[in-house]
Amino acid sequence: MDSNGPIDYLPIAITVLVAGGFVVTTMFVSNILGPKRKGKIKLDTFECGIESQGNARIPFSIKYFLAAILFVLFDVEVIFLYPWAVDFRKLGMDGFWEMISYMGVILIGFFYILKKGALKWDTD
Amino acid sequence: MLGDLKTIPLDWYILLSSILFCIGVMGVLFRRNAIIIFMSIELMLNAVNLLLVAFSAYHNDAKGQVFVFFTMAVAAAEIAVGLAILVVVYRNTKSTDIDVLNRLKG
Amino acid sequence: MNTLIILSALGIIALFAEIFRFRKALFPLILLGLGGAFFFTAKEYNHPQIFLGMMNFDNYAVIFSCAILIIAFLWFMMAKNYFLQETSVTDHFALILFSLVGAVVMVSFSNLTMLFLGIEILSVSVYVLAASDKSNVMSNESGFKYFLMGSFATGFLLFGITLIYGITGSFDLASIHTQVAANHDSGLVIAGILLLMIGLAFKSSLAPFHFWAPDVYEGAPTTVTTYMATVVKTAAFAAFFRLFSTCFAGVTGHWTDVLWWMVVLTLFVGNVSAVRQKSVKRLLAYSSVAHAGYIAIAVVSMGAASTSAILYYTFTYSISSISAFTILFIVSRHKGSKDISAFEGMSKANPLLSFAMTVAMLSLAGIPPTAGFFAKYYVFLTAINAGNTLLVLIAVIAALVGIYYYFRVIIAIYFKPEQQLVPIKVGPLHRTVLIITTILTLLFGLFPNLILGWI
Repeated sequence: MDSNGPIDYLPIAITVLVAGGFVVTTMFVSNILGPKRKGKIKLDTFECGIESQGNARIPFSIKYFLAAILFVLFDVEVIFLYPWAVDFRKLGMDGFWEMISYMGVILIGFFYILKKGALKWDTD
Repeated sequence: MLGDLKTIPLDWYILLSSILFCIGVMGVLFRRNAIIIFMSIELMLNAVNLLLVAFSAYHNDAKGQVFVFFTMAVAAAEIAVGLAILVVVYRNTKSTDIDVLNRLKG
Repeated sequence: MNTLIILSALGIIALFAEIFRFRKALFPLILLGLGGAFFFTAKEYNHPQIFLGMMNFDNYAVIFSCAILIIAFLWFMMAKNYFLQETSVTDHFALILFSLVGAVVMVSFSNLTMLFLGIEILSVSVYVLAASDKSNVMSNESGFKYFLMGSFATGFLLFGITLIYGITGSFDLASIHTQVAANHDSGLVIAGILLLMIGLAFKSSLAPFHFWAPDVYEGAPTTVTTYMATVVKTAAFAAFFRLFSTCFAGVTGHWTDVLWWMVVLTLFVGNVSAVRQKSVKRLLAYSSVAHAGYIAIAVVSMGAASTSAILYYTFTYSISSISAFTILFIVSRHKGSKDISAFEGMSKANPLLSFAMTVAMLSLAGIPPTAGFFAKYYVFLTAINAGNTLLVLIAVIAALVGIYYYFRVIIAIYFKPEQQLVPIKVGPLHRTVLIITTILTLLFGLFPNLILGWI
């Protein structure tokens, strides 16, 4: 990979063209070829054959939100384990204890949200 | 892999990140829906992350990538707090449009 | 480093105070812990320690940490009664303690990573606190605006850090200093410095990046506003000055002109907008913006005396602000209004409150013998030594405008007909805070060397 001309990007351009073209073509063609029937049942929302009920945009319990946010937080904290894992041997015992203290702090946070009842599902 | 990254000149990365960053800034300034503003802020931060990784590869120095870890973790915490505040706002105003937040003026 | 460990441990203890039911013991414990943190910080004076090239506890860091701890101590005494009415007092205290950790990191960083982390630790806690009055839409709005503007500013700060890293290949302040001086004509350096400055100007509410400040200050609970106007501002300026004096002192040509205009604009906007405010809280918010302008004068005219001028200004300003906000808190709770009219004619029945408010206002206006006079004097002195005479002239005119609106409050207290002669009840903690802040304001005004000698 010494040269760096526009020609090197040809495969990418072809991929983009094919991918974009496929989407546009299928949408366009199915619109032309497909039969057009309009009835109440046809325009209804399709939900695995079950009759749909109500609007999808209803207020939902705050618990979903809490669980989702907490998941994101604890999920992201894991990225600090990657550098440790990469240099696991070189960091040795020092790194191990540092990681233990780091996980300890995270566990304190976890313990706090448990005790606060943020993850209780059955009570309202 | 680092070699591949370097075949594209650094200026292009700077340009790309600057454009992404500016799109984010424009989103924050001109959109009215709070969720979209949050996404624009994320875009700004991720433009910075991209540039950090590019510089890191260019300098052959891992510090930049470690910094990206910090930005990602902090951005997650920030957005969690922001969404929590947004939920409280939504409960009181029933809207995520920032134009309803106009009580403080003068 | 001991400071950070103590504060973090204290924060974690505060988190669990509610769960393990020792909420009553928490407040004395926090005061004790802050005292201990102060002791261990002060012990490191003249014993600079560097931690892995990340933190540098030199005298600058020690002195500013001590100042922040003292202000935080007074803040806790002031805020205790407010948070007792709230449901989750322990969470609020924990958040404040965590944000103090961020403040200490911000004054002691020697690596841009720590600057970023410090700012974020401080800010994220304060976002939550600003919105902590959950059922009040004003508080929600304040927290939301603060969050939006704060994370927006973080974006700029990060972009600046990244560009500087791109040029210098390092996050370390000392090597950035040499590398920036070597590449001083690169466009990326200029862009990086300016973006960093924009990010920090947002945090320290310098115009034209101040527009969030009045709204956020007004909507947040008064105690949280006090915290933002004192600890956050002190930490923001300490970080601002530490970064720019360590890294970019060699390339002042790139940024002093821009900062000069920002200072002028801040002085103008802050003071002129404060004149037409009816609400004392909003008046103090604009005055806080204006004071940011005065402090930034010392940053523009970077010199040997700038450090002590910034320390003296932020510390005395914080003390007077705590005094003013405490009185505002007491009066507004009694009268149910934050307007200047709520203060009318309270001098007869409330001599202590009136006197303390007068001293605080005189200090904020910069009138001798209060500390505010010397604060402005030393800042102006740095500017004159750096040859910024025009800036001093503008600042003096701004200060004259300032005197006008601070005196409106004093006139309301002493020269308006009294509305009611019922004395306002002041709790023992508030009384202690007011006595301490008033004495300190007068003491530092008479003996400024009590602070200046340290740095």
